[in-house]
Amino acid sequence: MSAALGAERPQVVSHVQQALSYTVFDCKWVPRSARLLCLGSAARGTGVLQLYELSGARLRLLREIEKPKPIKCGTFGATSLQQRYLATGDFDGNLNIWNLEAPEIPVYSVKGHKEIINSIDGVGGLGIGEGAPEIVTGSRDGTVKVWDPRQNEIPVANMESVQGESKRDCWTVAFGNAYNLEERVVCAGYDNGDIKLFDLKTMSLRWETNIKNGVCSVEFDRKDINMNKLVATSLEGKFHVFDMRTQHPTKGFAYVSEKAQKSTIWQVRHLPQNRDIFMTSGGSGSLHLWKYEYPAQRSKKDSEGCEMGVAGSLSLLQNVTLSTQPISSLDWSPDKTGLCVCGAYDQTVRVLIVTKLNKI
Amino acid sequence: MGDESVPYFLGEGTTKTYQIPISHLDYKFIEKCTDVKHLEKILRVLRSGEEGCYPELTLVCEKRIEHLDPRSRALRRDKPPATASDFTAGEWQAINSELMSWLTEMNEDDRKSQLLRTDTPNERQDNLPPIRCSSSCLPTNPNKKLQNKQRSKKNIPRDYSEWDKFDVEKECSKIDEDCEESNSKARFFSRPSLPVIEKRIDTTGMTKRDKIIIATREKEKGNEAFACGDYVEAVTYYTRSISVIPTAAVYNNKAQAEIKLQDWDNALEDCEKVLDMEPGNIKALMRRATVHSHLQNYQTAIEDLNKVLSVEPENTMAKKRLLEIEEKLKSLKPVSEPQGKGKKILIQEIEDSESGEGRGENTEECERRGGDKSSGAAAERAMGSAHGKSRGGKAQRRDRHKDSAPSRLKKGAPEKESEKHLSDHEGEVNGYLRSDEKSESAEVEISEPHREGSQSAGAGSSTALPPTAAKLKSEGNEFFKSGQFGEAVLKYSEAIEYVTSLGEQSPDDLSILYSNRAACYLKEGNCSDCIQDCNRALELQPFSLKPLLRRAMANESMERYGLAYIDYKTVLQIDSSIQAANDSANRITKTLIDQDGPSWREKLPPVPVVPVAAQLHRWDGGSLTSENKPSTIDINREEQVQMNCEEAAEKFKRLKNEGNDFVKLGEYEEAANKYSECMKLNTEECTVYTNRALCYLKLYKYEEAKRDCDHVLQREDSNIKAFYRRALAYKGLQNYQASADDFSKVLLIDPNVLEAQKELEEVTQLLHFDGSAGAGRQQTHGKKITIQEVTECDDQEERQFATSEDAETGRVPAEEAVPKAVPRRSSEKLRVSEPPNAYDFGQMINALNASKDKAACAHLLTATDPKTLPVLLSNKLEGETLLIFIQSLEHYIAGKDPGLAYQLLFYLSKAKRFKVVLALLSKNEKEEVQQLFHLLSKSWSDQYSLEDLESLKKVYEL
Repeated sequence: MSAALGAERPQVVSHVQQALSYTVFDCKWVPRSARLLCLGSAARGTGVLQLYELSGARLRLLREIEKPKPIKCGTFGATSLQQRYLATGDFDGNLNIWNLEAPEIPVYSVKGHKEIINSIDGVGGLGIGEGAPEIVTGSRDGTVKVWDPRQNEIPVANMESVQGESKRDCWTVAFGNAYNLEERVVCAGYDNGDIKLFDLKTMSLRWETNIKNGVCSVEFDRKDINMNKLVATSLEGKFHVFDMRTQHPTKGFAYVSEKAQKSTIWQVRHLPQNRDIFMTSGGSGSLHLWKYEYPAQRSKKDSEGCEMGVAGSLSLLQNVTLSTQPISSLDWSPDKTGLCVCGAYDQTVRVLIVTKLNKI
Repeated sequence: MGDESVPYFLGEGTTKTYQIPISHLDYKFIEKCTDVKHLEKILRVLRSGEEGCYPELTLVCEKRIEHLDPRSRALRRDKPPATASDFTAGEWQAINSELMSWLTEMNEDDRKSQLLRTDTPNERQDNLPPIRCSSSCLPTNPNKKLQNKQRSKKNIPRDYSEWDKFDVEKECSKIDEDCEESNSKARFFSRPSLPVIEKRIDTTGMTKRDKIIIATREKEKGNEAFACGDYVEAVTYYTRSISVIPTAAVYNNKAQAEIKLQDWDNALEDCEKVLDMEPGNIKALMRRATVHSHLQNYQTAIEDLNKVLSVEPENTMAKKRLLEIEEKLKSLKPVSEPQGKGKKILIQEIEDSESGEGRGENTEECERRGGDKSSGAAAERAMGSAHGKSRGGKAQRRDRHKDSAPSRLKKGAPEKESEKHLSDHEGEVNGYLRSDEKSESAEVEISEPHREGSQSAGAGSSTALPPTAAKLKSEGNEFFKSGQFGEAVLKYSEAIEYVTSLGEQSPDDLSILYSNRAACYLKEGNCSDCIQDCNRALELQPFSLKPLLRRAMANESMERYGLAYIDYKTVLQIDSSIQAANDSANRITKTLIDQDGPSWREKLPPVPVVPVAAQLHRWDGGSLTSENKPSTIDINREEQVQMNCEEAAEKFKRLKNEGNDFVKLGEYEEAANKYSECMKLNTEECTVYTNRALCYLKLYKYEEAKRDCDHVLQREDSNIKAFYRRALAYKGLQNYQASADDFSKVLLIDPNVLEAQKELEEVTQLLHFDGSAGAGRQQTHGKKITIQEVTECDDQEERQFATSEDAETGRVPAEEAVPKAVPRRSSEKLRVSEPPNAYDFGQMINALNASKDKAACAHLLTATDPKTLPVLLSNKLEGETLLIFIQSLEHYIAGKDPGLAYQLLFYLSKAKRFKVVLALLSKNEKEEVQQLFHLLSKSWSDQYSLEDLESLKKVYEL
């Protein structure tokens, strides 16, 4: 019986393991292809960008590009499906956009931040998100900046603490709410546990909260819908899922929190084909696959008649331990349900297959 | 080993971490502990090994936690990723080939797009929205109302150092009024009430593949929104998907969402679009039928459903809907319309649909139809389950059961209330009490089954009724039994009309007819008509029990408590043993005291004094009391008969009480014997059967328990206890489908039976396991079997109804009816020669497993051709089955015929799932296998050599 039960649950299969000669910080599927990119830092302090192709049960290296500065993060979020330009953020605070066909010179480059760009996200490209293609970067210098690849040098929006206030290290940024031409929000997570939600339409801070521990990763379940859910993971192993549909004037958004493991949760990524399933990657080299279940009523009236959200519940679909080192990056293939790549600090990149995701 | 070391530590105090008393690290304590937190701590201590290593105890602790809280975090363990060994070869192959085909597809796509690349410049650039109007800053600290707005500088590149010199105060003063206003508003949600989402997607410059990606994406968004109930949003996203590439599937989904929103016109339009694209689309037809029925185009709805049924004759959903719509259609027709015609058509149609399905589960459906006045709500609900049509018939059946209860609840409030009242009474009159304890103790049942069946049996004996009227009446009884109360009323009315028009006064029969019609009205919730009919019946036959009871119930539901009280009291004068009347009288007393205060009695009309003659029917033992006995019989004879009856009844009662006492003491064997003696005296008494069934259940004699329940259900087709116990029996027999059906029936009769709900969940889960285990391995085969199963149990029901009809209308003595009711799968059946197919074989195995009857198993195995064993076992081989095989081979066959034993073992190893089952055998079980081989190696046969045996041993992993 337990065998039958186990068979119904999704299984995580480690399809390919590829050892690397450098520290990998981020890995990304190239949209509409079976290729993936690994970004990182070589031992001699330069940046590495490797393009692999998945062929059968191995990864074939197509191209290796070396750049002067270690590359921390990358995104395809703001490029068109035809172009597939990669935007990267490096240790020196540079935002570069690369044409992978001709990677010698960036097609766009700006020294966006004074310090390392920890996190990058894009929207408006790939058919995901209405409105202009934009890139957001979050940096150790405490600022979060939004860029339009069509505008050189200066950001279209800049979110920073007021002068005199201590600057927090911004660890993670994410776009969301881009369901029409005007609406768009940016969510940023900081080392002190702050989560801030910036509304780009009204250019205002829409909401902020503190989850007590450094926020390692935030992601909306989908960027291109009326914002629905936000997952924020933290340094001490807890993560919060906020229901972003209903904002209470004082209580903000309802949330449910769950502790996945004792170590840091480095990354959260929602399944592109089903927004209610997401994977978290942990400091102990483990992956947890979760499903969010909505409550019967997503909002209710409080005593004063204000609408307030009701959080749902989480169920653990599967967990596996791949490595003893933290898994720092995770990316689902946008084209093939269940195909997933993750990079860990044991200098290995793994292609995973998660089965039975369409049966949940 | 844990056992020994624990006492050693006793008295040593507490563990190092958590300070748990050492004595808690004990099997007994863990088994009893219900505090999950505490258990988790114990588990952590055990796992850490700081108090020593006790793997078994750790396991027990884990199991206990899992039992108490399956989601406990302590149970999560690090697991390596799955590998090929975690899948069957087929699954693994599927995973890999799926990936490979995707890779090839991607590669081809790459090649094509490379060719295209030259002629796809940045054409989308023109359509892009403008760059955000300005470079702007906003502070991350909301407490300071500072806005760093940088307007006009858009074209002037500024390096980062300039930003440092940026004078906040100065910039602030520059901010124009407008901006500030919009900002302060925005601080607290300036969200529009409804998000404006573009209904169309601009697809200029997109390649076909882009479009497919976008359309799929939008559809997924729609599905997600649908899944969490945002139907408006879902429709929007479906519309967007359609604007890119119109596909039938998306139109279909959109129609479903629109049905949810009750946007019938658009839903209709979308269904029609689907049908334009795919004329035979079942889902679309079903949905269009729903829409039509809501738009009151019943005829077109019926046409659509018939089309569905012509493609999928087994579609239960469609059949059910068809019936509902027909019912609605009928209820719309004015009553004055010539009944004959309308009815005829209806009956034909029911027959049609029955012959289409070939099974007789319409009782339940009809019951719903009878009570279901707002089938609109039900229909809508039903659509939800139609959504998951692909899950197959089984799932749908379950869904429907789930549906039925809420749909009843959806009726108007007053109706609901009266219904509740009625069901209360019904439950009590049938001797059913809600609380578990009471329903388990055999005492509470009363000796007056309140069913129409018994009445009709009485009517059959009365010669006074003219044949036409008798026929009408029996038809009415049939309708009543099947829950079609409206139909039954019509029949009874016709009968009454006929009898009165004849002018012959036969007050008994007329009284019974009125009483029966009253029962129908009561069921329908038509209390005033019920009372009227009861009055008429009582005029004709004063002090007959049933009309009095019914009038009491009707009065009670109409909140005429005084009148109800009087009637109940009268009933109790006639027969003081009617528990329901007693309870109701007590309940009403309370209500009356609340209403009228202490002097409530004064306000009541006097309770009529019941003549002694009427009281004499008290211990008549069965259902055929007062009204069924022709009063024309002279009093002498009646008294004589009654004396005999009384004696028998006294004895009966004594025996039954003795039986009940045994039940209380837990001596079920004895109790069953007593009840069996009771049955010799009186076969009509259903409670004895249900009680005996309980005993059998306790004794694990599921077959016998089932037989008793079957017997009861023939007599009382809605005896909730019998259903409940039969369900348990089926569960014991591992016939989960039938079990689930019975539990659902229990819930249909009374949705508040928590035990049944729980059991149903459990059984459904088991069923699911069965189904999924089968499906995982061999999809088509597994499905086929379940369908067979369904048919099987329905057949049985049908037969039951047939026999019960016989018994009641044709006056077949009950003793004769009993053997008829013996179910097919009795233990005798197991000894028939070769099992014809895998299904029958499986059923027998289930029965064997339940009874652990090794001898019968040996019989079965001897009768079976070893070569057919893998086929017969299909994919149903379980550890339990393997074990009983091994045991019966060891004890019965190996000694007599080692050759056959070897053959059987050999072919057993060829069965599907054999490896899996073998791997799951425990140590003891392995030992049994070992013993068997040992036995075989000692005996000799020309069928096998020692080498053969050795190699087979290897197969058995010994």
